[in-house]
Order: sequence, then C-alpha cells, then structure tokens
Amino acid sequence: MRILACVLLLAAPLAAQHGLYEGESKNPAIGDPKAIAVGEKLYMRSCAGCHGPDGSGGRGPNLVRRPMWHPLTDEKIFSLIRNGLPGADMPATNLTDDETWNLVAFIHALIGPAADNPAAGDGAAGEKVFWSEKTGCANCHAIHGKGGRLGPDLTNIGGLRPLALIKESVLKPSEGLYFLGNEAVAVKLKNGETIRGVARNRDNYSLQVIDRQGKLHLISMRDVTELEIREGSPMPGDYGKRLSEAELENLFAFLARQSLRKGEEESK
Amino acid sequence: MMRRRWLVLALSLSSVAAAQVRPQDILKSPGKDWLTYAGSYNGWRHSPLKQITPENAGSLVPKWVYRVPNSVRLQTSPVVYDGVMYVTNTNAMYALDASTGRLIWSYADGRAEQSGPNRGPAIMGDRVYFVTSDNYLTALDRQSGVVIFSKKYASVEDGVTSTSAPLAVKDKVIVGSAGGDSGMRGFIAALSADTGEELWRTYTIPAKGEPGSETWGDLIEWGGGAAWLSGTYDAESNTLYWTTGNPWPDFNAAVRPGDNLYSCSLLALDLDTGKMKWYFQFTPHDTHDWDAQSWPVLLDMEWEGRQRKVVLHANRNGFFYVLDRVTGEFLRATQLTDSVNWASGIGKDGRPILIPDTDPTLEGKWVCPSVKGATNWMGQTYHPQTGLLYVLTLEQCGWFNLSEQDPEPMKNFPGGGATEEGGQVILRAIDPKTGKRAWEYPMTGFGRMWTGTVSTATGVLFSGDDDGQLVALDAKTGSHLWNFNMGELSTASPVIYEAGGKQHVAIASATAVFAFGLFEPMEPLELPKVTTRKTE
Repeated sequence: MRILACVLLLAAPLAAQHGLYEGESKNPAIGDPKAIAVGEKLYMRSCAGCHGPDGSGGRGPNLVRRPMWHPLTDEKIFSLIRNGLPGADMPATNLTDDETWNLVAFIHALIGPAADNPAAGDGAAGEKVFWSEKTGCANCHAIHGKGGRLGPDLTNIGGLRPLALIKESVLKPSEGLYFLGNEAVAVKLKNGETIRGVARNRDNYSLQVIDRQGKLHLISMRDVTELEIREGSPMPGDYGKRLSEAELENLFAFLARQSLRKGEEESK
Repeated sequence: MMRRRWLVLALSLSSVAAAQVRPQDILKSPGKDWLTYAGSYNGWRHSPLKQITPENAGSLVPKWVYRVPNSVRLQTSPVVYDGVMYVTNTNAMYALDASTGRLIWSYADGRAEQSGPNRGPAIMGDRVYFVTSDNYLTALDRQSGVVIFSKKYASVEDGVTSTSAPLAVKDKVIVGSAGGDSGMRGFIAALSADTGEELWRTYTIPAKGEPGSETWGDLIEWGGGAAWLSGTYDAESNTLYWTTGNPWPDFNAAVRPGDNLYSCSLLALDLDTGKMKWYFQFTPHDTHDWDAQSWPVLLDMEWEGRQRKVVLHANRNGFFYVLDRVTGEFLRATQLTDSVNWASGIGKDGRPILIPDTDPTLEGKWVCPSVKGATNWMGQTYHPQTGLLYVLTLEQCGWFNLSEQDPEPMKNFPGGGATEEGGQVILRAIDPKTGKRAWEYPMTGFGRMWTGTVSTATGVLFSGDDDGQLVALDAKTGSHLWNFNMGELSTASPVIYEAGGKQHVAIASATAVFAFGLFEPMEPLELPKVTTRKTE
C-alpha cells in the first residue's frame, strides 16, 4: 500500500512579496499576444538552445526561477538581449527595437504567472488527475479550501507562478527549494506525545506545526525533548514515472489555470 | 519504507475537530480571546482580564515584536483566537503565534488593483476574513491560511475602495465602502460568511427620486456617504449601527443644496434585511469633511430616572451625543472639545445651532475643529466599572478653502482643501450620564491623534501617545502608570488577550506589532536534540 503525499513545495505566500510584477514596462509589446507570438519564434530560434524551451535553463541560466528572488525589469531584459553579458556566453544581438521588445514580451509572459498564458494540456482532464486517488495531490494540497492543509495552498498557484516552475515542482519537488515553512517534522514532547506535520515556522525557542488534520500546534521548545526534521520534500519525487506524459500535461494545464483573480473575472 | 512509516504515524493521530468560533462566542467576547475589532459587538474595547492591574502595570515589558512586511502606516486592530493573532496590512494578512510573535502563515494578494489602509480582520467558524483595497472579501482557513474564497463586492471603477475591518455576525460578514472624498455612492453590504455571495446592500445615499433625494442637487449619484469604518451590533434587537462619511464634493457645498441625507449620519440597520430602522444625521449639509466615522458605543444606562438603551457617539464635529438606540431619538449633546466655532450648541431637535459664515471660501475660513475633527475612527473605550467613556480628542483648528474648479467625480477633487495648524491631543474620560469630563490627560506630539484605547477590568487604560508612546493610565483618575516608546507613530488601536496563560496588550505601530506583558525572569532553555533524516 502506498500512502501518497503530493506536496508542491512552492512556498506560495512568498511569491507575492518578491515583486514579480514590479518590473512591468509600459511598452505596448508587453502583454500583446501578437508581439508575444513573434517573440516566441525569436526565442525558440535564438535563445531556447541555452535557456531551454520553457526557460528552465541548460547551458544558460534558468530564466524562470531567478526572477523570484532577483526580479529584472523589462528594460533590463531588453538591455541584456541587446548588449549581451560581456565575459559570459551571452552574446550581443543586432535585433531591431521592435524585435527586441517582442522577445522581451515573450520572456515576460514566460516568467510571469502561468494563468496569464495558454497551457498546452487539457485542464478539465487535469482536474480529474489532480483529485484522483492515484495521485493523491489533495491529500496535502487544497484548492478553494477543499483538500489537505500540509502542503502549500494551490488555489492561486497559476496566478502566482510561471508554468515552468509549476512543472519543476511536480517533477522534482526537492530541487532548489526554500524549506523554512515547509519542513516535515516529528516533535517529541516531554509529556510523551509526538506531533508530526509540517513546521510552518521554527526557531530555537518555539515551533508552529500544522498536522495532517489541519490542526495547528503552537509549541514551546521548553516542552520538546527531540525534534526530527526530514531533509528534502515530503512530496514524492516520482510523478514523472507514475504519470503518463499526457496526464502530466493535463495536470499542469489544470494547475496553471488556478488563479483567484482570473476565476473571478470568468464567473462574472 | 521510511515514508510509509512516517505517514502512517501521521494518520494515526486522532482526528481533531478544529475548534470553531461560534456566533455566541463573539457575543460573549472578549474573554481570553479578542474576536472582533472592538473586542465586543457593543464597541466597548474593554477586557475582563485581571492579571494587569494599576499596581503592577509599571512592570509591563515588550514580549515580542513582529515587523509587518511592506508596512508603512499600519491601522490594523488585531483579532486573537486560540493563541493565534491575526493582523492585516494592505491586501495582506498575517497569522502570528500570540505568545511568541512568530509568523505561522501569511497571505498577500499581489494582484490587487489598489493599495490603501486596512483596519483589521474578522473571524467566524474556522475562517478569518479581510477585505482587499479593491473590494474583495477574502476568507482564509484560520489555521493554515488556505484560501476558501475571494469574492468581489464592488468595483474600483465606481470610485469604491475598502479599508474597514469586516464585522462577522451570525452567518453574515458586513462590509462597507471607502472613497467618499473622490465622489462615489456609499453602501453597507452583508455577504454570506459561507460563500461571499451578497445577501443585501443598503446605499447610504438615496437614488434619484427616492425619499431623501430631495436633500441633494444634481451630483447625488456621486454623493459619497462612504461607510469606511466597521460598526457595532445589538443582538437583542438584531440591529447594526453604522456610521457614514462626508457628502461629496467635501468643501463645495453650493452644488448640493439641502441636508444631503444620509451623509455624516448614524444608521440603524436590520441585520437580516439591511432595512434602515432609523437614521440620525449629526452634521446636516456638512462643509468641513466631518465624517461621522467614530465608534457608536452601545450601552444600557439610567437616563432621567429610568433605564434606557442608548448609543454614545463622539463626533468629529466637536460634540458628544447620546441617542436612544431603539428609536434614534436625540437625548443630549455636549461639547467634546473646547475648540468649536461653527455651532454654538446642538438644539433640542438634534440639529447644530449654526454660527454664520463658517463655510469654506476662496480666501479660506478658520474653523474649529480642524478637518481631522475633534476625534476620529480609532475607537473609544467604555469601562463598565468606572462608568466612563474614554475618547482621544484633538483641540485643533484649521483653514478651509473653496476651489473655483468645477467638481469632477473620481478625480480626487473635493471641491477645495483644508489644512490644520498646531493642535493638542487630549485623552478624555467622559461621564455619559452627564456629558461632563471626569479627567483629562494631555499628550505630547504633533497633533496627529490616530491611536485608539483599550481598558482592562482592574482599571488600567491603554492608549497611544502622539509621539509613539504606548501609555497606561489609571482608568479612575487618569494618573500615569507606565509608558513605552515604540520608536514610531502608532495609527491603530490596542487590544487585550491571554495567550500561554498570560495577559497581553498588543498594538500596531506604523510598521510592526508590539505585544506587552508583565515582566518575568527567563529561565535558561536547554535546546532539544535535533536530528535530520533523509527522504528516501
């Protein structure tokens, strides 16, 4: 018997505080589907070789993860494309202004929230994958309050995260993560009780743990005899093997469209 | 194998039904918890806790400080339940361990189209609620921060924004509307606590042709009357008491002849239907931006030999009112501040006795109170043992100017402008039975006046000094007991709660939440054994 845990360790609440949208330019190409389509062709021809077709990196850096911590403005991206990075492998280009802005518009969309861009898979089919016992995603994750409380809330995941990062989180959940707030812990208390769950926060003096039932435990370290912390994500790392390519694409499409604001607009 | 053992153990924990905040819990509050903006539905901002006393208040020390991310001028009044404190910032909520100040979860709506102040959360069931600046009521699971719903109830395109703490009552969450200085139509709405669906909406300004519309000119559709502060609730009569803001354009009154109903008023609304039971307009045809946003405090007290259900209201216009809260009947108004030069008093009909020639002019008029008013929204305290109402007041006058420009809705053009000068903040204890002052405590500072009050059963009153000091006074006498310099101006109201068996007083400064408690020497802590285990 397998008990599945499907924890997408995306540290969702952090994203909104890291200025994903701070660098938005007023250039008309940004957000223009035609410009993005032209930019995509340019990207696939000249950039995807090093930065990967979905921006997840390769020979060149990952474009998608980086902006979470060090956001670049559209103007800075424009300047990097135009001038390259002297001393690194990134070459200068001789694209026209319009071409460069089209490319910036595509990259802006690529690193922006997944919900803003069309996803390849079938979202309705992906919804079934998400809620199925086979994947068990909802054992740990909630959407609009339905589902588990151990893993990050996915209600707004498409509104927060780029598609490439959602894919990475499903396929390689332990990669490059920010763990504080998502550590699986077992806390042995002086009264003999053991509390297991995810430490939403901890320091040497107190612990704030949410358990599988969604109950919060506020614990003083004075009451703790032993704290066991799991390295890596409690989310299974084998979804790439367990799900077919189509199932994965559909799941990504479903997650990509989970956006609070977008849902609101559609329901009006 | 390891994962299996781990998770089997996790599942074997007994299923715990999460404790729920029930309507009757809020009706009885506050106790150990602080469950609504004013602590109780009657708006008293008073705690029954007794650990902190006038004798030991000198031993109060900060227990923790939480720096709220991206905050500039917090106005949040925290809610506390079951050891967790909930505080809001613009478009964001934070859940903190109320004993340690450690962050448990946070939620930030990065896509909100507006940013503005937020005055706090509400709690009911297993959810906490707050409003975004662009008018979404957001419900979050109180323990995990998981989003249950985020539902839009008004549009910024109509000039409406949101700032107030929602009021959770029974199966409803009551929200209001801000934006009255730029032209909009104010409203109060009840949304389903379960789904966020709108159940009723009561506009504070009548539509053209409706009763009351005859008190307006052509700009009635943009008349303001914003309901930008939460209200109080009387369970026995199932009535909400809600205040309304200024008529628009604020200073150009020539374009809105008449009383401008129901601006600058107190409204009594039926909780189930939103139907207006009565209204009382404090400042008919306001020309000085004296919104009625100050707390309506509900009280049963002796009045001329018999018990009456009253509502107390310290108004921006410089007067302190007592009304019958069942009928809305005007009972008495006395002067709240000494600096009042626009009216010589309030007549028996409840209307101000106007002193001529105090409306704004192109050259400017020197009027008292200033545009900030004699008091404001922060929240007052009624202490049942002293029988006194504590109000932070401002003795200040200012210039009121008219503009020659034509009023334009949503251009943030109030038809003129106002500046204030100097000023003295004074915390006053008022006897509601007589309207007379029992004592007063002058504050230092720049005449900013934005901190509310809270008291505890033993007779300690807390308020914020105008210089960033949290101050404890003897509620009976107004004598100083204790003060603490928070290092920056506070623009919020304090709350009292118990966590870990200890009484705390908490308040938001401009950028942080401070929690105070009585000093206890700390015992050294032996760190537990920490081990790590690899994921298979």
